[in-house]
Amino acid sequence: MASRARGWLAIAAIVAAGLVLALLLQERYHHRVLTLVFLWAAMGLAWNIISGYAGQISFGHQVFFGIGAYVTVLLVVKTGLTPWLGMLVAIAVAVLAAILIGVPTFRLAGIYFGLATLAYPLIFRIVMDWLGYQEVAIPMIRDRPGWFMQFSEPRAFDLLALGVLAATLVLSRAIETSRLGYRLRAVKENEQAAEAMGVDAFRAKMAAYVLSAAPAAVVGAVYIHAILFIVTPDAVFGLLVISQTLVVSLVGGIGTLWGPLIGAAVMVPVSEVLDSTLGDRLPGIQGVVYGAALMLIMLYAPEGLYWRVHEVLRARGARGAGATEPIVAPATAPAVVSTPSGTVLLEVRDVWKAFIGLQALSEVSFDVREHEILGVIGPNGAGKTTLFNILNGFLIPDRGSVRFRGAEVTGLRPSALCRRGVGRTFQVVRTFPRLSVLENVMVGAFVGERTVSRARTVALGALAQVGLTQRADALPGGLTTLELRLMELARCLATAPQLALLDEPLAGLSTDGVDVMIGMIRRVRDGGVTVVIIEHTMQALLRLADRLVVLDQGRRLAEGAPGDVTRNPAVIEAYLGKRWLARMAAPTC
Amino acid sequence: MVVAELIQYVATGLLVGGVYALMSIGLALIFGVMRVVNFAQGDFMMLGMYLTFFYAMAGVDPLLGALLTIPPFFALGWVVHRGLLARVTGGGDPQRQMDAQLILTLGLSLVITNAATMILTPTPRGIRTAYATQAFALGPILLNQARSYAFAMALVLAAGVYVFLTRTDVGRALRASADDPEAASYQGIDVRAMHGLAFGVGIALVAAAGGLLATYYPIEPSVAGNFIVLMFVAVVLGGLGSIPGAFVGGLVIGLVQSLTLLVLPFQLQNTGVFIVFLLVLYLRPQGLFGRRARTV
Amino acid sequence: MLTISGLGVTYEGLHALSDVSLEVAEGEFVTLVGPNGAGKTTLLKAISGTVPAAEGRIDYQGRDLGRLRPSERAAAGIAHVPEGRRVFPTLSVRENLELGSYRRAARARRSEALEVVLQLFPILRQRERQLAGSLSGGEQQMLALGRGLMAQPALLLLDEPSQGLGPRIVEQIFETIDRIRRERRLTILLVEQRVVEALELCDRGYVLETGRVVLVGGREALLADARVQRAYLGG
Repeated sequence: MASRARGWLAIAAIVAAGLVLALLLQERYHHRVLTLVFLWAAMGLAWNIISGYAGQISFGHQVFFGIGAYVTVLLVVKTGLTPWLGMLVAIAVAVLAAILIGVPTFRLAGIYFGLATLAYPLIFRIVMDWLGYQEVAIPMIRDRPGWFMQFSEPRAFDLLALGVLAATLVLSRAIETSRLGYRLRAVKENEQAAEAMGVDAFRAKMAAYVLSAAPAAVVGAVYIHAILFIVTPDAVFGLLVISQTLVVSLVGGIGTLWGPLIGAAVMVPVSEVLDSTLGDRLPGIQGVVYGAALMLIMLYAPEGLYWRVHEVLRARGARGAGATEPIVAPATAPAVVSTPSGTVLLEVRDVWKAFIGLQALSEVSFDVREHEILGVIGPNGAGKTTLFNILNGFLIPDRGSVRFRGAEVTGLRPSALCRRGVGRTFQVVRTFPRLSVLENVMVGAFVGERTVSRARTVALGALAQVGLTQRADALPGGLTTLELRLMELARCLATAPQLALLDEPLAGLSTDGVDVMIGMIRRVRDGGVTVVIIEHTMQALLRLADRLVVLDQGRRLAEGAPGDVTRNPAVIEAYLGKRWLARMAAPTC
Repeated sequence: MVVAELIQYVATGLLVGGVYALMSIGLALIFGVMRVVNFAQGDFMMLGMYLTFFYAMAGVDPLLGALLTIPPFFALGWVVHRGLLARVTGGGDPQRQMDAQLILTLGLSLVITNAATMILTPTPRGIRTAYATQAFALGPILLNQARSYAFAMALVLAAGVYVFLTRTDVGRALRASADDPEAASYQGIDVRAMHGLAFGVGIALVAAAGGLLATYYPIEPSVAGNFIVLMFVAVVLGGLGSIPGAFVGGLVIGLVQSLTLLVLPFQLQNTGVFIVFLLVLYLRPQGLFGRRARTV
Repeated sequence: MLTISGLGVTYEGLHALSDVSLEVAEGEFVTLVGPNGAGKTTLLKAISGTVPAAEGRIDYQGRDLGRLRPSERAAAGIAHVPEGRRVFPTLSVRENLELGSYRRAARARRSEALEVVLQLFPILRQRERQLAGSLSGGEQQMLALGRGLMAQPALLLLDEPSQGLGPRIVEQIFETIDRIRRERRLTILLVEQRVVEALELCDRGYVLETGRVVLVGGREALLADARVQRAYLGG
């Protein structure tokens, strides 16, 4: 697609511009600033991989920067190994550190993750102090200085830094346009929905973390040789490193290639100039500028300058197509219409689940038969959503088992269940808000497809099935409730499920919308997918379901044909109470 | 004898821990009510130390000076909340809001520390009092007088906070806002005002703690960074958002720091603290008094 | 006292309420029933201000509520006993009750009000010093009710008091509500899933289904109307 080529062209243009600047600038001082711009942009890009793309804000990324610096310098000092090769060792160490840190830390939720990342650099500082490496200076090598990254010509450092930046740009772009990139964005936007769409969130985050560690280590190694020359724990593991990284990425724009580039191009020269002119009289001016920048950005443009401008331009540009556009009837009709067979697809046996003070489910057993539409109903608090969360993998039952296609699946995580063929939609639609409709559906498609182009094809097919093709490039924020539900359905279909768990797909729809949705669900079943629905909109469900299962207070109350179930006195009693039953002379139809 | 030495370290650790406890209560209050991790907490403490120093220059004993930091810093905290924190909402998503406010307070911390370095200069100051160099003798144990007074004051202030939170309407409203902001608004509690109040009190407490610290610790801008980590660990150890937890956490951290000195040199005294931090995060992230009791 | 006209609410992106109109006169006991997902809780939240109204108007004692923040609405005498109780778990029973009289108008009469509530719910007197989080579901419901009464409200909003409770406790709760109604002259708007108990207590009732009012009537009329059943179970 045109935009993909454009991305690579833009990178080439940036690199070319950098080259030009490196060649044109004369003064030593200007070269130093240029080198710093390139290096901090690269560091910001590295940070962006884990904190921007994956959304896991790390306050400790300087660990890898410091590893890069220490490993290369120590190798020069102790073994005489050239830093060009030392960098490779540093990358290996950084990757190992990323794995060791990531495995326990990604299991921490929310704020604990951020707090934990704060601790690691502090620990490294202490370790380095303890090992006696408070100050390690790079020895001056007179013989073959270039071999040891000691250039006298400042342009050489510019080019080296530019090379690091170029490599990091290429890496970032490659991630952005790959399956991993889509998955990371899904995890960032809505981790639970991503899991339900087959994305193993832990593995995705680990992959991002490892990929973000390597460039950071390289930046550290080059920084030490180009700028600092002496490694101290504070200089490389300290607060100023992460502050600078944050400033560059946050000011520029988080989650995009352009962000750190803009941020570095703006902030580094500003702070360097301030430091050189006022630094003597006002030590710490850099810190004040960075701190103020962070505060101003959080107050006025929390996503960064890039997205702010983007927003403004988008608002001025063409408004999205009106939500009143009628939905075109789907072009693709299923070749063979499936009808309920007798074979059992999903077996739920004696499932029990308790929370503190609440027995949510007791001894629930029922079957789901292939190609049927099964409705799960029951008064409020009956345990329906808890049941779905167990079937889907978000919860593990205390007792009992769930078997899908004959295999035991109790306790598998949602992404694993999705890959086996269990799809899900949510009661309140969980979109990936900053991905387009098509990209939302593609996340589902990646369960079965490895490449972006194949995923796109599958996604377009799913969108065609639900009739949303013209909304493919819209953002979820601009969709009507019906369109959102259809999009979620398409996303679920893109995972190629055999069983679809639909949680209140009709909630919030107008009567027309309900009709459309009912038709769509029927088509889904006709196309070969077994459907289990939780619904409260009784009138609609009665038209749709082949069979019903009734839950009340965590127990299965009844199971059978809709007409029978709704006339079952026990069911009426569960909904309306014993006394209602007594008052009615005979239940009317 | 080794036992006496051990008890000495324990005693010193507890004395120091009392002041840490006071610092941490402020942080816990802010987190409990507002769900904000205030990275600038150490910086406000540092400013409190300086204010106490200036009071001392004017002849006011630092123990009293510490108390006198409370009103101005409460006002400062209220203003900072209104002007900065209340404006950063992260677009409604609570996780984004927490991240955004952490970054905001990180920025604030950078500004305060560096501005202090510029304006007040990095030269360390100290407050000279008679009792800073004297000690009480309890048998073989020596208790530095400054630390003992600071400990006592810290306990008094902590008790004051306890009374405030449990015996006054406003204090209860604060705790209710921490438990369930929506239900609190049903009772007519203005939750946003509660946030401002919590922040003001949290800042005032840590400034007072700084004043107490200044009776025996050198005053310089970099102090902020030294203590913020200790506060975080104490709060996490106690259980994020639990005020009694933060108090206990502060005492424990003081002990850990002190006992670490039995085996490691002074520069590494925080090693034990970091190990505790990681252990808590991995083994029991909800801390000792992990927050919520359940509603049915 | 309360007039709702043409209320429309969008909640979490879904149309929760459409064109809802409802009235509660001073001293009346009005019940709102309907199946799950009908929008009953959303309606109460719109009245107390937690959820904004997209269309329509809510008038309370002649004032447009849209101009008041939630804490101001509570200060004006609207007491909302929320769905799921929502007692403050780390506060004691007594503190929860005391907090109920936070609004200025109620503070002066706090001690008498506390005495009345503890007489109404003797179990709470027993558990006065216990943390609210350690109470059983039924006890928490009583505490939530008591907390609401402590505010000396003009309008009491009760959101599904029977939710998650066993039948015997539910009976007790409804008996108490009836008693409260008879002993004071409160205006009450009760939202419930349990149809008969709720309708038997009320003067008038509304039936809500998928965000719209489908039936209005007096107590006896609704209790005999088969359409109520249809709203829950279709057909």
